Amino acid sequence: MKRTLHHPSSSQGRTYWRSLGEYAQTPDFEEWLHREFPAGAAEWENDPLSRRNFIRLMGASIALAGLSLSGCRRPEAHLVPFTQSPEWVVPGKKMSFATAQPRRRSAVPLLATTFDGRPIKMEGNPLHPLSQGASDNLAQASILDLYDPARRQHLTRGGKKASAADWDAEINRIRAESNSASGSSLAILADEQLSPTRDRLRAELQRQFPQSTWATYEPLAPGRDLEASALVFGDNTEFRPNLSAATTILAVDCDFLGSDEGDLSDTRGFSSGRRTRQPSDSTNRLYVVEPRFSLTGTMADHRLRLRPSAIGAFLLELARQIRAAKPSAELNTLLSQAPDLALPEGVDPAWIRECAADLVSHGNRSLLLVGRRLPTSLQALALALNSALGSVGTTLLVQPRRTPTSATLAQLAEKIRSGSIQTLIILGGDPVYNAPADMNWAALQSSVPNTLHLSSLPNATSKQSTWSIPGTHYLESWGDALAIDGSYLSIQPMIQPLWAGLSQLEVLSRILGQPNPIGPSLIRETFAQRTGLAGEKLEQSWNDFVREGFLASPTATPTSRAANLNTVAGLLSRVETSPAEDPASLEAIFSHSAAVDDGRYANNGWMQEWPDPMTKLTWDNAILLSQETARSLGLKNDIIKGILVADVVQATLAGRTIEAPVVIAPGHANFSATLPVGYGQELSGPVAKGAGFDAYRLRTSTSDYHTLGLQLKRTGRTQELAVTQEHQVMEGRDLVREASVSEFKENPAWVKTVGMDAHIPPNQTFYPNPKLDGQHQWAMVVDLSTCTGCNACVTACTAENNIPIVGKDQVMKGREMHWIRVDRYYTGEPDAPESVSQPIACMQCENAPCETVCPVNATVHNEEGLNVMAYNRCIGTRYCANNCPYKVRRFNFFDYNQRALDKLYWGPLAPKGTEETIKLQKNPNVTVRMRGVMEKCTFCVQRIEDAKISARVRARDSADLKIPTGTLKTACQQACPAEAIVFGDLLDESSEVKKLRDLPQNYSLLEYLNVRPRLTYLGRIRNPNPAMPGARTHYAPSHGHTENHSADKSTATSHATPTQTKQGSHE
Amino acid sequence: MRADNPSSQAAFAEAAAYLERQPLVSNHRPLSWITQHVCQIVEERAPKWWWILTIVFGGTATLVPAMLTYLVSTGVGVWGLNVPVCWAWDITNFVFWIGIGHAGTLISAILFLTRQKWRTSINRSAEAMTIFAVICAGIFPAFHVGRVWMAWFLAPIPNANAIWQNFRSPLLWDVFAVSTYFTVSLIFWYLGLIPDLASLRDRATTRLRQMVYGLLALGWRGSNRHWTHYEKTYLILAGISTPLVLSVHSVVSFDFATSIVPGWHTTIFPPYFVAGAIFGGFAMVLTLLIPFREIYNLHDLVTDKHIDNMCKIILLTGSLVGYAYSMEFFIAWYSGNPFEIYAFTNRAFGPYWWAYWAMITCNVAAPQLFWFKYCRQNPWVVLAIVMFPNTGMWFERFVIIVTSIHRDFLPSSWGYFSPTWVDITLFIGTIGLFVFLFLLFVRFLPIINMFEVKGITPQADPHADESKGAHDRSHNTHSLRTSQAHA
Repeated sequence: MKRTLHHPSSSQGRTYWRSLGEYAQTPDFEEWLHREFPAGAAEWENDPLSRRNFIRLMGASIALAGLSLSGCRRPEAHLVPFTQSPEWVVPGKKMSFATAQPRRRSAVPLLATTFDGRPIKMEGNPLHPLSQGASDNLAQASILDLYDPARRQHLTRGGKKASAADWDAEINRIRAESNSASGSSLAILADEQLSPTRDRLRAELQRQFPQSTWATYEPLAPGRDLEASALVFGDNTEFRPNLSAATTILAVDCDFLGSDEGDLSDTRGFSSGRRTRQPSDSTNRLYVVEPRFSLTGTMADHRLRLRPSAIGAFLLELARQIRAAKPSAELNTLLSQAPDLALPEGVDPAWIRECAADLVSHGNRSLLLVGRRLPTSLQALALALNSALGSVGTTLLVQPRRTPTSATLAQLAEKIRSGSIQTLIILGGDPVYNAPADMNWAALQSSVPNTLHLSSLPNATSKQSTWSIPGTHYLESWGDALAIDGSYLSIQPMIQPLWAGLSQLEVLSRILGQPNPIGPSLIRETFAQRTGLAGEKLEQSWNDFVREGFLASPTATPTSRAANLNTVAGLLSRVETSPAEDPASLEAIFSHSAAVDDGRYANNGWMQEWPDPMTKLTWDNAILLSQETARSLGLKNDIIKGILVADVVQATLAGRTIEAPVVIAPGHANFSATLPVGYGQELSGPVAKGAGFDAYRLRTSTSDYHTLGLQLKRTGRTQELAVTQEHQVMEGRDLVREASVSEFKENPAWVKTVGMDAHIPPNQTFYPNPKLDGQHQWAMVVDLSTCTGCNACVTACTAENNIPIVGKDQVMKGREMHWIRVDRYYTGEPDAPESVSQPIACMQCENAPCETVCPVNATVHNEEGLNVMAYNRCIGTRYCANNCPYKVRRFNFFDYNQRALDKLYWGPLAPKGTEETIKLQKNPNVTVRMRGVMEKCTFCVQRIEDAKISARVRARDSADLKIPTGTLKTACQQACPAEAIVFGDLLDESSEVKKLRDLPQNYSLLEYLNVRPRLTYLGRIRNPNPAMPGARTHYAPSHGHTENHSADKSTATSHATPTQTKQGSHE
Repeated sequence: MRADNPSSQAAFAEAAAYLERQPLVSNHRPLSWITQHVCQIVEERAPKWWWILTIVFGGTATLVPAMLTYLVSTGVGVWGLNVPVCWAWDITNFVFWIGIGHAGTLISAILFLTRQKWRTSINRSAEAMTIFAVICAGIFPAFHVGRVWMAWFLAPIPNANAIWQNFRSPLLWDVFAVSTYFTVSLIFWYLGLIPDLASLRDRATTRLRQMVYGLLALGWRGSNRHWTHYEKTYLILAGISTPLVLSVHSVVSFDFATSIVPGWHTTIFPPYFVAGAIFGGFAMVLTLLIPFREIYNLHDLVTDKHIDNMCKIILLTGSLVGYAYSMEFFIAWYSGNPFEIYAFTNRAFGPYWWAYWAMITCNVAAPQLFWFKYCRQNPWVVLAIVMFPNTGMWFERFVIIVTSIHRDFLPSSWGYFSPTWVDITLFIGTIGLFVFLFLLFVRFLPIINMFEVKGITPQADPHADESKGAHDRSHNTHSLRTSQAHA
């Protein structure tokens, strides 16, 4: 990968894709082009948008992404076949190119892996400090959106296909209309993006049409954090946490590990402070106050369930307790006008007192985080408290605001109502679906004479717009973005737009009267402006920028900023008391959905089938309630025949009513209900259709995050929901092993005293085990202390290994195909449970029970310790799956890759075949399995083999064929932002995996079976504060064992290195 | 007490009469009566009820190819299987049918070697039942695989892939065990049919019958040489079949016993499965025999004594099975292994409790009624009671297979199995096929082993009238048979 990542440095000449662009313009080149392939050239020009043409020519022509980058805007360039292959291009070998996925409030620096011009997999950009090679779930899933067959393929006007001439005419009309009224008739509604080029074009638009309106709207990012930052730290500031510096963290309704923007750095920072490998390591401590169990809540050492409306009272009490622990004049100022509110019911004052004391005692290493959707006053209070704790500049960084302010949706709505807007251009987003319900956006939008909607996928808004413009995916277009740390990221296309897509920048530049931009010209201009470079230096810097994916900027030294506490103090008088507990007026909380975010991934099959990390729900959303609240409302969930049967309720809020199933979520705050948004989209493609209910329909401008007054009424009906894990507790089994820091310090080998491990008799081996004499011995270790359970590994594995989706019906039957899953168990008190996660993939048992039972030798061991599958030998007896104690094997009950999911039972009567575009996503190094065969994880054996080939090429005639340490990663490992998954070679003494396996807290799941798994776990270390009320001091249930009485049987019970294994097998 | 006391003499006579063995063919039926009575079943016009039943069950049997076509063309997903329950009705039905076969082989081989003469009137139909049950059984393992068109990988055929089979896999042992069992059972059954086929040939009135039965009788003339060869071969085949009775179901039980799944991984399985198979097999023999005994008025050949004996075997094996059930629980508890303890607790009280208790009721409780002589002697009561083991043995396999794997080691992957209409229809189809094949057998082949029955009639014993001591009853059967074959 390293080799392909770097283009040839410019000292050897210009980079290929640049030089081709130049080369292509030379007369003799063009002459050669047209003489050599006149027919093909003509064909392509006649129908440049035909997918069929595109695919046919792609293999030979654009093939290697380097070329496709050279002239994305100039289709004629794509006719060039590789008659003269660039030196480093090896057909069939992957190439990686840097790019970035734009998000609402940040962007994720990525590498796209391409094969023969097809991007197939996203990885984090290893050079960028935020990513360091990691990515997340949505970045992984975004590749599927590129190939979504439901994408818009044509420009349409009034639902009818429009021609390029029509489009030109429309642009001219818009310009003429806007010119006549200096733009007052023009409004642009955009999604949030941190694109400096878009901001530049926007400024240009503002200059050309000063009266025009630019509004932004994101349903889940109301921007209150920016308001709070402006209040506390001054205008044009924003803040971000620096979790790697924090030792004590209190997160108040802030799911920084789950979904808030910038999760990569947050997760990475948090896990770096969490990682406890030696008893001498320090461990950070996390307090979480939140309404629903979030991923952040699962990592908490102390968790308090609290409704959002009670958080004001909680924070004021916290502020007072901080003042009590560390009296200061500024806190007196801050709290001078604060009302004296009663604590919310069920909150122990000691909890807040001890938490505050802990925060104070850690001074500038402590961090208080408050959810970005909570009221501005509370966020401002939190910033002020951070300032009082001294953490601004260390754990809370304040930086210049990255994006200009825009009009809000409400302001735009006002203008539309006044009738001044003649043309509304909607860039991305789906306001008809997700605008506040009281705004009646659909009607407003219809009242505008001309509406244009640019989006990649069809949705409710595009259906209502006059013009519907197919948008490009970020992998098809040039762009730029700012990451959460302010670094400048490049977005470069990997592939010619599959359909006639336009990017936002292209549309904007047309409206500005500019010609169609050629390649990255717009971005280059922005880049030149930002860097202030010119000439050769600009050239050099630009090349680096595109090649490495970002502009290395000098790291700003964090400075402490004074907080303006007076303005905050004034706001605090408005903090309201927490409401009474009333089952007839619940608190509605509109949360994002972990799988589909705000709804933008609703047509992404991977995400629909991706189990929600907490509820394990797929293909649906549901109203989440606590056990007690559900009971008081007479609502229940049953597991009937393996299917979650949920009561359906009629949910009424401020006169609006929807019907939705209810899922009981342990650890949810009482008298509140979480309504995840993003589902219930009927117009966003066949995958989204019919999945879940639309919670946006209850959401109003005043209640965009939470509000009181929700009534749930039983309808008496039930709905079947597909969950991938039906059983929520460990049944007292020693599966996930936990200890407190003090237990770990007392006995670093505590995992061995847990459960059955202390009782394992010495093993007698009957069969000779397979010889493990390979040059590498692969193994994986998962650190349960840092695994947040985010499930990014699941999506990464899906993308890497061509794992099919099976649909809701099949998931209900228990036939999901994920090769890696994250088991989530609830532990502790039933009322306030804790939660633990455990990723489970094939354990590659050295003594594999699946291998002995396969009658046809389709699953066998290789000499490197992998349990490999020969798919074309498998006849599908499924005996291996029965005998797998970890149940990680997956069976193709139907031809999931060849048949439509709604016609699986039709057999040969269903049309056969895969969508052409979906085929493009498949990893060519991994077999696409047919029906009737078993499949499972093989530690990404295709990557191992690829690395071996590279090692062999490098070695030439020498005997050193070893894969260098750390150069090979499995897909799950690579994606994991917490670096909880470590894979490597046990024979390599310097490898991380070898070191981790030798740690005393390393254990095998179900060790007593003596299957000798190569995937082992580091026991989870928690860091509870003993002073907290109800703190658990003992996590490790040791059956009263104080010592490990299997220590004398080390051969039998140790996590055998291969040499030990061999000894074991020859006993 | 003195023997010449008149009153004690009377008592002695009474006791002697009571203790006297009931003859295995009652009412002193002549040998010709036996031939006539058995052959006429085949020779008379097919009765109306036979046509009705054959059409009904033949129609049901067509569900088998229909369901298999759907299964193979569409995918194993048409069944209710999932992960973790990768085997359910398919293997349950396989073990159920293969178990039924065992009674036939036991009757024909083991009872033959142990000189149990009462076997003669029931062994023919029991063996036929074996063949048909194994046919039904074989359908499941062959078609339960995901890629049936690749099932030939199971056969040790030299091929270009140069991959040999995995001889450590019990599933491969199954392939050999079941195919051997079927082959030997078929040969054994056919060999035993030859003298009776010759009788049918000789009695045939139409050319077609003469041709067909003549061909099947392989030129049997009943010569002394024939009988000598026949007896020797039959003995050898009985010797070969006897270990098969024990081995086949032991091997089938290895599918489970050699695995590591709690509830499957049990060393008690081989004897327990064999006992269960004989238990279920005898129940099925009685289920088939009692109605045909009534229809064809075979009370003199299949006497109450036969039924009584079989009931006693059911009582014995049922109790053995009950013992095995309780031992499983004891060992699970005694092992101290929480996974084992859970597996068995879950069996009795988990989501499939109803299957477990159905099994206990049918297999352990119901056969205890056979302690009562009345229950053993009244054929209709017997028929009612044996329906319980028939059902219970299906449940036993279901309980072992499904309840063990639906909740094994990691609670996160626990699941539940529900059958689909295809599962159910296919099983009904095999029942139809089984009965259909048996109806054909009844119609076209002699359901009673005529020549052997003649050998055990009272009049076949040259000392029949002299002595009740029965010291040498089987002494002279050869010469008798020589004449019977032409009777």
